[in-house]
Amino acid sequence: METNMLRFAIAVDTGGTFTDVTLFDRQTGQSWTAKAPSTPADPSIGFMDGIASALTQAELTPEDLAQVFHGTTVATNLILEGKGAKVALLTTAGFQHVLEIGRQDIPRNANMFAWVKPKRPVPPEQVFEVPERLDLDGNVLEALDTEAVRRIARDLRAQGIDAIAICFLHSFTEPKHERQTRDIILEEHPDALVSLSSEVLRVFREYERSMATALNVYVMQAVTQYVANLQERLTGVGAAAPLLIMKSNGGVVSAAEVQRVPAHTALSGPAAGVVGARFVGAAAGFDDVIGIDIGGTSADICLVKDGQHTVSGNGKVGGWPLPFPMLDIHTVGTGGGSIASVSNDGALTVGPASAGAVPGPACYGRGGGAATVTDAHLVLGHVPPYLLGGGMRLDVGAARGAVEKNVAQPLGLDIEAAARGVIAISNNDMVGAIRVISIERGHDPRDFALVAFGGAGPLHGVALADLLGTRTVIIPPHPGVLSALGLLVSQLRTDYARTCLQTPPDYNVAQIAATFGELEAEADAWFQREQVPPAARKLSRHASLRYRHQGFELRLPWAGDAVDGLATEATLEAFHALHEQLYTFAQRDTPVEIVTLHVVAEGHFDQIEPSVWPSGGSLAEAVIDHLPVSFEAGRQTVPVYDRMKLGAGAEFAGPGLIVQLDSTTLIPEGHHVSCDRFGNLIIAAG
Amino acid sequence: MSMGAHTAPEPVCDAVTLDVVLGALRATQSEMEALIERTAMSPFIREKKDFFVALFDADGDLIVGAYRPSAGDPVRPIFEHYPVEDMRPGDLYWYNDCYGSHGSVSHSPDQVFLAPVFVDGRLLGFVQSWAHFADIGGMRPGSISPDCVDIFQEGIIVPPVRLAREGEVNEELLRFFYRNSRFPDLIKGDTRACLAALRLGERRLVELAGRFGSEVVADAFRQLGARSERAAKARLGKIIRNGQYRFSDEIETDGQGNGPFRMAMELRVGDNGVVLDFSASDDQAPGPINYLLNPAVPRAMLSMYLLAGDPTLPLNSGAGRAVDEVVLRPGSLLQPLWPAPLGQRGLTMMRLLSATMGLINAAGGESTAANCPYVIYFARGLDGNGEPFLLTDGVGVGYGARPFADGIDAVYYIAQENYPVELMEHTFPVRIRGYGIHRDSGGPGRWRGGCGVIREIEVLAEKATIAVRVDGADSPAWGVGGGINGGAGRAIVNPGRVDERQLDPLSDGNELFRGDVMRLETGGGGGWGHPFDRPPEQVLADVRGGFVSRDMAEEQYGVVLSPDGLSVEAAATETRRRKRPAVDGLFHRGGYRDELT
Repeated sequence: METNMLRFAIAVDTGGTFTDVTLFDRQTGQSWTAKAPSTPADPSIGFMDGIASALTQAELTPEDLAQVFHGTTVATNLILEGKGAKVALLTTAGFQHVLEIGRQDIPRNANMFAWVKPKRPVPPEQVFEVPERLDLDGNVLEALDTEAVRRIARDLRAQGIDAIAICFLHSFTEPKHERQTRDIILEEHPDALVSLSSEVLRVFREYERSMATALNVYVMQAVTQYVANLQERLTGVGAAAPLLIMKSNGGVVSAAEVQRVPAHTALSGPAAGVVGARFVGAAAGFDDVIGIDIGGTSADICLVKDGQHTVSGNGKVGGWPLPFPMLDIHTVGTGGGSIASVSNDGALTVGPASAGAVPGPACYGRGGGAATVTDAHLVLGHVPPYLLGGGMRLDVGAARGAVEKNVAQPLGLDIEAAARGVIAISNNDMVGAIRVISIERGHDPRDFALVAFGGAGPLHGVALADLLGTRTVIIPPHPGVLSALGLLVSQLRTDYARTCLQTPPDYNVAQIAATFGELEAEADAWFQREQVPPAARKLSRHASLRYRHQGFELRLPWAGDAVDGLATEATLEAFHALHEQLYTFAQRDTPVEIVTLHVVAEGHFDQIEPSVWPSGGSLAEAVIDHLPVSFEAGRQTVPVYDRMKLGAGAEFAGPGLIVQLDSTTLIPEGHHVSCDRFGNLIIAAG
Repeated sequence: MSMGAHTAPEPVCDAVTLDVVLGALRATQSEMEALIERTAMSPFIREKKDFFVALFDADGDLIVGAYRPSAGDPVRPIFEHYPVEDMRPGDLYWYNDCYGSHGSVSHSPDQVFLAPVFVDGRLLGFVQSWAHFADIGGMRPGSISPDCVDIFQEGIIVPPVRLAREGEVNEELLRFFYRNSRFPDLIKGDTRACLAALRLGERRLVELAGRFGSEVVADAFRQLGARSERAAKARLGKIIRNGQYRFSDEIETDGQGNGPFRMAMELRVGDNGVVLDFSASDDQAPGPINYLLNPAVPRAMLSMYLLAGDPTLPLNSGAGRAVDEVVLRPGSLLQPLWPAPLGQRGLTMMRLLSATMGLINAAGGESTAANCPYVIYFARGLDGNGEPFLLTDGVGVGYGARPFADGIDAVYYIAQENYPVELMEHTFPVRIRGYGIHRDSGGPGRWRGGCGVIREIEVLAEKATIAVRVDGADSPAWGVGGGINGGAGRAIVNPGRVDERQLDPLSDGNELFRGDVMRLETGGGGGWGHPFDRPPEQVLADVRGGFVSRDMAEEQYGVVLSPDGLSVEAAATETRRRKRPAVDGLFHRGGYRDELT
């Protein structure tokens, strides 16, 4: 991992419409960006096109590349669209309907008369019961019926089902029956892909663990093939660079690791944006940032505190529990293409239905008649009626027509008030989502800077900050490609966890130390596989604690370097403090249990320095137009700035529009803009 | 919306702000829920999630809460003891007094905590947390034994009291309460969780008022009520014509040898309004199946159905105003007199919810078939360490089929989760031998009723004393519009062994010993529409998934499957379906009929 060997790194972020590529020279700090149309039928085409385009710009060849970073939505889309493999699930006898029954609940805000139970990714006829049983300590109550496993394996081979998940009761304590079952299946059905719950997600609660294991193998073939395909194409053009894939936890791993547990990539795409937001925040001098990535159909929101991402173990994807360590990303179905409508009872809602890229917002003139958030922005003059660089013209008349028909008339408002309403509702949805990852987690959003990115982020950023009371908004130099930057600056990372229940007053410090030791040995083995040199390795310990009788644990860093009585005490005290911070109260009269121990292993690449932004000419030279914008207080003609002409050190006061190829930033009155030395726009209230 | 009725001009919340406020209220609700879920201590609250939070206006009208029909009218009982003028910021109020709250709480384990929210010295509204506490004393662990003959046996009764004055919590009251529980540590943790949720909700409402002004927020409250009211009334007007309609059903037993008990309702829709009249119901029961009905409950049951098309409408007091009057007869099953026992009213509540759907069907509105009432059991004894344990396990059932979809399989009330098997075995001295879909329990129909479940529990403690409530053996969930009734539930001990026995469906004091197995088979929902109209492919999928047996497919659905069970025999099915049973009654229970009792 020496720097000279790792000079050129390239990052490829495959989105729904475009594939964004950033190429970086670690020696000079220079970077090149390229955009290629995404190719959903075979994403590797867009992937290679983008790389080729960036290499051409930089006058390099594939052989020059030292690393290829990639964020993918292959797994996400398979799960969201229900298009994964035909999966068989093997359960302990008596529990065939574990997925059907789930947690037996109708969601809290659903109307029982209208709610329909969603179809499971594995139908019950593909769930097979295996006679075997362990008790909660892992003792065998009933031996594994190996003949039954053999029959099932042959049957599955005959049926052509080769994606197989195995989840037996209490396997998180003792995995031997699961392992034995896999061995037998592979004897009978050598082509099968097999996932064991004890390897995918070693925690209790059988429904959640079964679902995670099933989803893992549900996406396994597609992700494995996809990754192999990318590698083949890279090799085909002579690139020897390792392919590193972003996981949901915000770290990258080698392609081989992804193939082991592909479900870890369920949030690969948005995770890259989180890493990018952290990087941009740090460069601008803010260690506490909230990132909001607003795309066409949704907004992904994350929080970075003290320069660290937050990781959660209660994630869901497409309504299914996926309790892996994932970056705490909250997604709300509101983006630029989200459709505004008024119900029969007069309620204005925005999203989750989206006009997508086709037909798109009404103003795209591709036949879309629905009023979208983008149309509302255009009606209000938040975006110029043209796209920079001679691109598409936007149809203001169509936008006004759509907003009038779908929002203004049903509500009895004028068109601009209706458009403002659409923006207000979408901002409100996003503020609600920001509160979930900040206030609900005990953080005050006013203490954070807001990094607004994605194509539509800079249009909403200042308004969201005003609603939250946040004083600073950061718009990165290239808001549309921040995820690619996030990939470039990411680190290798894997999380290891094991249940190690300790109840007071007898905390067994030796056992805690031994468990940490085992986890660290696993991490070391991974470092070996990934060929991380010793100097670049970093291990950190964490623990999950709860008050006796609680059902949820809080995860916090182990206090101190040692594992001894003193460190245990300090960790307990930190738990009380965190509980009070999150939930308004601590219970120092109540015993605390240590439930799970975690080790986070990171392999650190040399940190990339952000590119320095050139200083520009006079402010007047950056003003390329004047356009009318409708603000709350009335219509006002404002200057339009070309982002590329705003040099480092440029400063001005709102109102104004700042346009660039991939985005428009809206600056209302009462806000001050400055461009820092890395080209970030720092927007301050007041 | 109109300001004509007001003499003084006041700021009105505009249409957009209204939805922004609604979004903020819902976010507050879910924040409070998350806090309780993450910090509560009894499995019944943290894992099964038997808790609810809600937000009210200054008059005590419900504005936003979970979609559940049994919320009652929980703020006004406080007013009877503590006039609004006497309330101050930081106060907390508390009760579980069923009779003292006129049925806003309908069995004593449910604790209601309320905090008034003040902005600039003026009352803006109330936040509420509500949770079912595992044990509050009484006759047996779990408090609500089917053997109880009066409410004093169902645990300590807390009348509406002021638990905190200006932020200062009265710890003496709580010590008194904890001392009356067999599991004081759990109760203490659960109480703290509920109180912390109130503080959080209070803070959020104050912030909301800070953002928009309390006048605007108060006006938003009014409008949210009015919007739901308009929608519910419009839908009612659309589906039900003026007239008088009746529906009745009966509950077989009160668990103490008495019954059946008839539940009768009449809906009168006319120019003078909409009246729900329950006065023809039977007298109250000696056993604890009485349901002390707050008038807000039947209002909510009906309006929840009326709002089903539009997820933007909160189920609130406004929606309840679709019904102008509720008539109840003191001394009846639905309005028992103090101190009749109430603990097992869950059964009656679920029957009443289904009966409300029956009434809509009888009135010509196409509604759903009946749900099976949820099943619950209590197991108590000493664990391996000699410590007392209390397992209260809610077991899912099938819900009624609908004119547009199958009934929901394996579900418990709303938002109430099961205990994972791995949690059960870790927390209680039991082993779960099987947990699956109860095949053939869903009532056949064009749309199938939801299936119940089978759960087999082996006792690992030396001895466990078990109370069960399994409804519907003799009167299963009815079908409608050609749909057949759902399957019945039962509780069997040691199935297939020489000492096999069936437990009384509502009973306590059942003693099981180490190695004994209790097999619960829960009932399904009724079917909707003629089963011969169900597409054969859907029947095939049900057979393959374990929801319907081959025999039932052939007999009830007229669908003949191939010998390997993997395909439909089209010709044989066509022949079989020519002998289509005639439908000669709106409802079905054991046969088609227009009335159930």
